[in-house]
Amino acid sequence: MTTATGLADARLRKKAKREGILQQAWTRRADYLYVLPAILVMLVVIAYPIYYTVDLSFFNTPPGLQLRDKVFVGLNNYVVILGSDVVWRVTVNTVIWTFFSTVFSFALGLGSALALHRDFAGRGVMRAILIIPWVVSAVAASYIWKWIYHSDFGVIGAVLVGLGLAAHPPNFIDSVSTVLPSLIVVNVWREFPFAMIMLMAGLQTVPEQLLRAAKVDGASAWQRFWHVTFPHLRGVSTVTILLLAVSNFNSFIIPWIMTGGGPSNASHIWITHIYELAFGRQRWGIASAYSVLLFLILMSLGYFYVRALSSGDRKERGA
Amino acid sequence: MTSMTNRVAPRKGKPLDVWRWVGRIFLVLMLLYTAVPMIWMLLTSIKSGFAAMQFPPQWWPNEPTLASYQRLLDPTNSVGQDFLRFFWNSLFVSTATTILAVIVAVPAAYAFSRFEFPGRNFLFFAVLLRNMFPAVIFLVPLFILMRLLGLVNTHGSLILTYLTFGLPLAIWLLKGFYDNIPYQLEQAARIDGATRFKAFMLIVMPLSAPGIIATAIYSFIGAWNEYIFAYTFLNRNDKLTLPVGIQRFFSENTTDFPGLMAASFMMSLPVVVLFLLLQRYFVRALTEGAVKH
Repeated sequence: MTTATGLADARLRKKAKREGILQQAWTRRADYLYVLPAILVMLVVIAYPIYYTVDLSFFNTPPGLQLRDKVFVGLNNYVVILGSDVVWRVTVNTVIWTFFSTVFSFALGLGSALALHRDFAGRGVMRAILIIPWVVSAVAASYIWKWIYHSDFGVIGAVLVGLGLAAHPPNFIDSVSTVLPSLIVVNVWREFPFAMIMLMAGLQTVPEQLLRAAKVDGASAWQRFWHVTFPHLRGVSTVTILLLAVSNFNSFIIPWIMTGGGPSNASHIWITHIYELAFGRQRWGIASAYSVLLFLILMSLGYFYVRALSSGDRKERGA
Repeated sequence: MTSMTNRVAPRKGKPLDVWRWVGRIFLVLMLLYTAVPMIWMLLTSIKSGFAAMQFPPQWWPNEPTLASYQRLLDPTNSVGQDFLRFFWNSLFVSTATTILAVIVAVPAAYAFSRFEFPGRNFLFFAVLLRNMFPAVIFLVPLFILMRLLGLVNTHGSLILTYLTFGLPLAIWLLKGFYDNIPYQLEQAARIDGATRFKAFMLIVMPLSAPGIIATAIYSFIGAWNEYIFAYTFLNRNDKLTLPVGIQRFFSENTTDFPGLMAASFMMSLPVVVLFLLLQRYFVRALTEGAVKH
C-alpha cells in the first residue's frame, strides 16, 4: 500500500526536479490552499507571540503591562536570571520531574501493554479502566489526589496509620522532601495510559510467526521479548518517550493546582515558575527572558523530536 | 540461535507460567493504582461534609447521600447555577473547537500526505515543532494579542487558541492515515471523471473516517480539559469553563471535599464516556498514524 504511494511520489519528485523551485511553487500553487488555513492560524497565534516574547525580554514593563511605559534594559533580565539561586533549584526540579515521570510512565505503560496483549476474560474492561486516568481532566485529577494526600483526612495516611506503618498521617505535599515524588506519582497516574496505548498499538506490528518460530526454537519468554518483540517496538518507543518527555517538561496543571510550586519552591518547575513570575509577580520582562531561554533549550532538542516523529516519512521516501 | 536453543533446552517444561503470573500480579497492582483514586472520589462525593472529615475515615459512607450532586445540578441555588453555566460554556467551546479543528486539519493533512510542493517538509516540521513548546511561552504575548483583538473574556479567544494548539497532533495523526490509503483508488476515480474534490469526498473521506473521529475526540478532550488559557483569558464568572470554575469553587469552599469530588466526577464523566465509546477509533488512529510506518 505504502509503496504505491511512494512510487507515485517518486514520479512526482522526478518531474519536480526538472523545474525550478519558483516555477514549481507557481505551478503547484493550488496545493498551498489546502495548508493555508492551518498555516495562517499558526502564524497569528505562534509566530507573532514568539516575536513578541523575544522583544519583551529586553525590556522592563510596569506591572499593569502598559506597553507604552516599558524601559529598554538590554540583556539585564538574562543576567538577573542566570545569577539567581531560584533558577538552579527550578532547573534541578524540572530535570527530576521530567526524567522520573517519563521513565515510570513508559515502564508502567510497557508492562501494562505486555500484560494486556494476551487474550483473557475481562481484558477489554481492564484495558478501559487503565486508560481512564488519561482522559480525566488534570484539574480534577489534581483535586482527587490532593484529597487523597490530605494531611489530616487523606486516605493514604489513614491506611498507613491503620497498618501501623506510621504514627501520624504523613505530610505528602506539604513537606519539602516528599512533595516532588508525590506529584510525580500523580503525573504518572495520568500519563502511563498514553504509553500503554502507543505500545499496545506497537505490539500489533510484531509478527506472530516470528514469536512462534522463536518458541519452537526453545527461546524463553524473556528471550522472545528481548530478541523478537522489543526490536519491533523500538520505533514506537522512541516516539512515545519523546512525546512523554516533552509533555512532562511542559506540565503545569498538577504542580500549579496541588502546591502552587511550594513549599519553598520545592515543586516549582520551569513552567510554573515562569507563570508565577508573569501573572503572579507581574515581572513580565524576566518571565519573557525565561521563556526565551526555555525556547532555546527546546529548539536544540527539536531536531531529534522532529526526526523521530517524521521517521516513517523518511523511511518511505528513502531519505 | 543455536546457542539460545542449547541454553534453554533443559527447562522446556513451563517457564512461561512464571511470566503469566508476573503479568497478572502486575495488572492487579496497576488496577489498584488507577482505580482506587477514582473509587475514593466517588465514595467521598456521596458523604456529607462532616462524614468526609473524620479520622480514621468512614471507608464506606455510613449515610450515603446525593446532596452534593443535587446541589450542583439544581439551577435554583447559586452553586448549581454556576456549575451548569460552566458546563454549558465548556460544551460550547469544546464543540466549536472540534468542528473547526476537523475543517482545518483535514485539508492540511491531505496536502501534506499527497502533494509535493516546495516547502512541504519545512511546513510540516514547523507544524510538528509547535507541539514542543509549552503554552506558558505563548501566554503573555497571546494575552496582549487577545487584548488587542478585544477577545479577552470571550469564548472566541479560547477557541482560536485551542485550535492552534490542537492542530499539530491532529494533522500528524490524519496524515499517517492518508499515507495508508492507496493513491490508485483516487486515481481510478479521477480517470472515471471525478474531480479531485469529488474523489476526495467519495473515496478518501469514508476510508479516513476513523482518523477523523479520532482527531475529533482528541480535540474535544483537549479543549474540555484545558486550564491555563482559560484561567488567563477569562475572569468574568459567566464565561468560565469547568476546570477554572471548579478551581474557583474550591477556593471559595476549601473544606467542601464531597462537593469538590462530585464536581470532579461530573466534569470527567462526559469525556470518559465519550472516550470509552470511541476508543477503538482512537487506538486505531494511533496504530495507523503513529506506529505503523
